[in-house]
Amino acid sequence: MLMSLLTLLRLSFLTVMVIIWKGDKLIDGVPETLDMLRSKGKRLVFVTNNSTKSRKQYGKKFETLGLTVTEEEIFASSFAAAAYLKSIDFPKDKKVYVVGEDGILKELELAGFQYLGGPEDGGKKIELKPGFLMEHDKDVGAVVVGFDRYFNYYKVQYGTLCIRENPGCLFIATNRDAVTHLTDAQEWAGGGSMVGAFVGSTQREPLVVGKPSTFMMDYLANKFGIQKSQICMVGDRLDTDILFGQNGGCKTLLVLSGVTSLSMLQSPNNSIQPDFYTNKISDFLSLKAAAV
Amino acid sequence: MLSKAVASAVSVTLNPKTTSKFFGLKRVSFVSSDSLVFGGKNSSFNADGLKKSRSCSRMESFVTKASASAQPLKNADELIDSVETFIFDCDGVIWKGDKLIDGVPETLDMLRSKGKRLVFVTNNSTKSRKQYGKKFETLGLTVTEVKDSFLSIVCLKFHRIPSPNSSEFSQEEIFASSFAAAAYLKSIDFPKDKKVYVVGEDGILKELELAGFQYLGGPEDGGKKIELKPGFLMEHDKDVGAVVVGFDRYFNYYKVQYGTLCIRENPGCLFIATNRDAVTHLTDAQEWAGGGSMVGAFVGSTQREPLVVGKPSTFMMDYLANKFGIQKSQICMVGDRLDTDILFGQNGGCKTLLVLSGVTSLSMLQSPNNSIQPDFYTNKISDFLSLKAAAV
Repeated sequence: MLMSLLTLLRLSFLTVMVIIWKGDKLIDGVPETLDMLRSKGKRLVFVTNNSTKSRKQYGKKFETLGLTVTEEEIFASSFAAAAYLKSIDFPKDKKVYVVGEDGILKELELAGFQYLGGPEDGGKKIELKPGFLMEHDKDVGAVVVGFDRYFNYYKVQYGTLCIRENPGCLFIATNRDAVTHLTDAQEWAGGGSMVGAFVGSTQREPLVVGKPSTFMMDYLANKFGIQKSQICMVGDRLDTDILFGQNGGCKTLLVLSGVTSLSMLQSPNNSIQPDFYTNKISDFLSLKAAAV
Repeated sequence: MLSKAVASAVSVTLNPKTTSKFFGLKRVSFVSSDSLVFGGKNSSFNADGLKKSRSCSRMESFVTKASASAQPLKNADELIDSVETFIFDCDGVIWKGDKLIDGVPETLDMLRSKGKRLVFVTNNSTKSRKQYGKKFETLGLTVTEVKDSFLSIVCLKFHRIPSPNSSEFSQEEIFASSFAAAAYLKSIDFPKDKKVYVVGEDGILKELELAGFQYLGGPEDGGKKIELKPGFLMEHDKDVGAVVVGFDRYFNYYKVQYGTLCIRENPGCLFIATNRDAVTHLTDAQEWAGGGSMVGAFVGSTQREPLVVGKPSTFMMDYLANKFGIQKSQICMVGDRLDTDILFGQNGGCKTLLVLSGVTSLSMLQSPNNSIQPDFYTNKISDFLSLKAAAV
């Protein structure tokens, strides 16, 4: 299975997942591997479900880690939310209520949408006194929910009111990841918990724009004119990355440098099988050398 | 597998009915439909041996019982005479927010004068039973407080005859889901050397304390924040053997993460929900996101379904039927919500009466999307008096 990695190198385009870092540490051999792929004329795209930063802010993160990646190569689920609203011609006179972080706000602003909420609502409290009514903006036409470290009941209630009471209000999730490595020390409850809260209070399922929904795949295939059969999706999570690749009809490569171990992949409880698996992306270099 | 994954990945708004999941505690099979969005990467459940199921068939099995449409209540006497006990939901039936609903004291007096046992069951876990007793008092309804819930049978034996002319209740009981959580832990002999992490309010803490359990969390964790700095690790108590989740106005990410760590990393840790109500009338002015949102957050982060102790789970029904020695066919459940109160009554095998003084309207009851049909419906419980008078 590992030897077949070489066949992936024959593809014209290669989509690489963000298994480039863990928390704030670069994974070994990454810069050299990316350089090698670029030198062979492969297109590299970085797709992340993390919505806390905008593409621009991610560009800076890549820079700080010593990697040259342009904004246009980065697709965060924060961008996906704004791109989705654009794709459905979400009216500019409607507003978006955001339960999430700065990345989403920045992308909405770039796309020309009005928004409310975000981190500053993290300081708001409610007093459940008799007769107290929480007002909400009737012009909110969409509630976008992503990871939010400033999550609180005010936001749950505000978003719930919008979804339940504003006719046609959309309920959009950047992603539903249960847990994610927000620091390299442990797993942290992810966007799936914020989204889960709204599923609980509205009894509605969201439109998911991040992985494993194919929205970002369709978007970039369209934007770059790529054939999906010419794409290899590389990631560390079976239920987001690999499923994303499979949903999109691409080849899939699982790396074991992240949250998934070999035993999890081979467990009888697991039904998601990537085309290939390897330890980390720098195996592209070592295996290539071995084949020579 | 691919086509299933595609279908589930493109999440669209589903009929809200299909997303509600309610589980009686005796037959606990977990419906993992939410996590199926990602193709079902559910790890097997933990040592308490509960299996997972991929369909909503359990939910359907509860609603197929009521195939006939609900009847408007005309002959109140007939219903009253056919049962021995009335179980009342509180919000939307007895009070709305902090206001008593018209005609309630007189109606309850009338039922008592006919020798009926009255029980109050609420999914609200913010108060303990004692604190609810005080709420009844403030509203002008006096409920005899039972100091030790497990002496209730003894007390009831000695206070069998109600006094018809006072508003004092002598054989009534209040069951809040805060109490249900503690009672459940007691019923499974939850070890006293284990701890409970609480995502919820004071009522749960008080009931756990009364039952002799150690706990962490509650309202004070509402002030805790986390700094997601490089290398930062949140510690959690390895002795937490259960996480109890209920409505929490102090909900925040710290609690989500702490509870998630306990459930995911402490072997055998239980995930218990007081209730999964989507919305609730916390003030009489509007509906407020309920315990279902806090529970939903943990379902999202753990990809596990909770054990639900509140309505419509039959835990509280079985508990009180057992404690009071009541036959379920002798009970009428009165409530304002189809998917908690009425389903609770149906799950328990009781008669059911829906009142329209709370969150459910007649059009919601009669909507083609609704499959939960109570035996009867009426405007408010004081109709027991007016219908009775009309029949004379």
